[in-house]
Amino acid sequence: MLRFVVRRLLLLIPILLGLSILVFVWIRALPGSPAQALLGERATPETIKQINHQYGLDQPVYQQYWKYLAQTAQLKLGTSITTQQTVLTEIRQRFPATAELAVAAALFSVSIGIPLGFFAAKRHMRAFDQISLAISLFGISIPIFFLALILKYIFAVRLGWLPTVGQISVLINIPHPTNFYLLDALLAGNLGAFWDVIKHLILPAVALGSIPLAIITRITRAAVLDVQNEDYVRTARAKGLPPHTVDARHVMRNALLPVSTIVGLQVGLLLSGAILTETVFSYPGIGSWLQQAIQDRNYPVIQGGILFIAIIVVFVNLLVDISYALINPRIRLGSK
Amino acid sequence: MSVAQLEAAEVTLEASQGGLWSEAWHRLRRNPSAIIGFVLVAVFILVAIFAPLLAPDDPRAQDLQAIFNGCCPGPSSHHLLGVDDLGRDELSRILYGARLSLLIGIVAVSVGLSIGIVLGSIAGFFGGWVDTILMRFVDIMLAIPGFLMAIGIVALLGPGLFQVMIAIGVVNIPIFTRLLRGSVLAQRENDFVLAARAVGVPRRKILVSHVLPNSISVVIVAGTLALATAIIDAAGLGFLGLGPQDPATPEWGNMLTSTVRYLQTAPFLAIFPGVAIVISVLGFNLIGDGLREALDPKLRGRA
Repeated sequence: MLRFVVRRLLLLIPILLGLSILVFVWIRALPGSPAQALLGERATPETIKQINHQYGLDQPVYQQYWKYLAQTAQLKLGTSITTQQTVLTEIRQRFPATAELAVAAALFSVSIGIPLGFFAAKRHMRAFDQISLAISLFGISIPIFFLALILKYIFAVRLGWLPTVGQISVLINIPHPTNFYLLDALLAGNLGAFWDVIKHLILPAVALGSIPLAIITRITRAAVLDVQNEDYVRTARAKGLPPHTVDARHVMRNALLPVSTIVGLQVGLLLSGAILTETVFSYPGIGSWLQQAIQDRNYPVIQGGILFIAIIVVFVNLLVDISYALINPRIRLGSK
Repeated sequence: MSVAQLEAAEVTLEASQGGLWSEAWHRLRRNPSAIIGFVLVAVFILVAIFAPLLAPDDPRAQDLQAIFNGCCPGPSSHHLLGVDDLGRDELSRILYGARLSLLIGIVAVSVGLSIGIVLGSIAGFFGGWVDTILMRFVDIMLAIPGFLMAIGIVALLGPGLFQVMIAIGVVNIPIFTRLLRGSVLAQRENDFVLAARAVGVPRRKILVSHVLPNSISVVIVAGTLALATAIIDAAGLGFLGLGPQDPATPEWGNMLTSTVRYLQTAPFLAIFPGVAIVISVLGFNLIGDGLREALDPKLRGRA
């Protein structure tokens, strides 16, 4: 097991290096010079020279990359052009909101997708199965932002059950020691605020969770169908175990192996989907932050934001791999 | 039953056990959801081709009288699906929008597919350090979520129709590369490759005329599903304002952006283009799923 983890950790190095090269090349491939891109209309020969010197752009490329790498390793991701705050500060302010949203979306998709897939497989080829298949097909065919717009129209605009935009009502004022609003509300002991934040979370989380929901339902259904015909399930049934014991101890336990990997792999989808969802609901996370940066051509923010999300995805995938090895002895022992 | 009828029945039975393709076609024809997919896609393609004939109006023409009383009058006999905030006929814009979505989808998938096929077959067929380097590079590209990478590329190239196609195409490269590599690797050790090698067929020719044709079924399935994703991603980029910059261009994603402001008064402006996206994407997904089942070797002979 230790060897597996170490090997997997070593594999991170080329991936992270490659990522840094990709992002480094990206900012240098901008049309015109990076200085021009950074300065926009304020570009004059003097300011360009100054920026070039300030960012070390007058040095050879390998030295520039080395410097970039050293800075990135120290989490110096640059400064936002519009706010003059460091990118890291803004990520710290913005990411908790997206993390709450992504976790809520993941909870939604797992808590509905797994039972849906399970019961669909139990009623294989019958109406419930067909309906769940249709729902999941629909889930991967509907653009997130369109679903978000529809949910917003029905539940916020028409019925008025839930708020249309934002993360918390403007009238509620609580201190934000962690920037995780749910946690902050609990720390402040303000249950009204907690409930308010939840209400703001529901629609974006449902919209964002729609694709993972569809994928998880499909995979769970396929996995349960696979496992159901295994010899050990037949044996368990033959020795007279009650059906729900067979389902819980033999079917689900084995079917959840592939499902757990798939759930982990949704993180990339959730974080990139957050850009669209947060835009529709004006939700103040890194998604809407990146979207604004794209409008403003705020390159340091785009660069830092993309690198940040990619690194999160890489690390979550690593955790998924390791936990998968932990729960699946075949991988663990096979790696020796 | 006469002898002739019996023989006819036998002939059809034999035909169904013919090659991979005729058998797949047989199974596909009996799959109702695949048929629905074909119908949806056929409608989508016909609309895209014949948009100028079908559209009641010029998608750029403004009917200022229609928006005289504010945004936006809904469906009427003049404008079957209503008009948008600038008084343009919604139906015509949706019909013309099919052209752009289809174009983006096809170009983007072709870009990803052609480069992916080349890289994937090189990696799979030659193996060794070429394979290692290429696949590590693919791993890195796959570490960045696809839509995010597309945004990064468009942010780099500047917004526009062409840029969107390139961006989505590049996102597809690692996916097809990995797919082709796997398929080529699986076939490299096959007897027919060994036989070809034994009679002295050059390596390049083995790859092109023996290995790649056998990977086609995988490519077609993945390509169909990639078309669906490409249309969704293109609409997403358009929605973020990264699509065609001329606001008169009837792109489905673009059309949805401007409607956010009118969600309260004119929700149909969001619903119609959205439904158009869902229908076309659903069509490609249904076909892709049907093809995957039809071409699955595990299910062969069972139909």
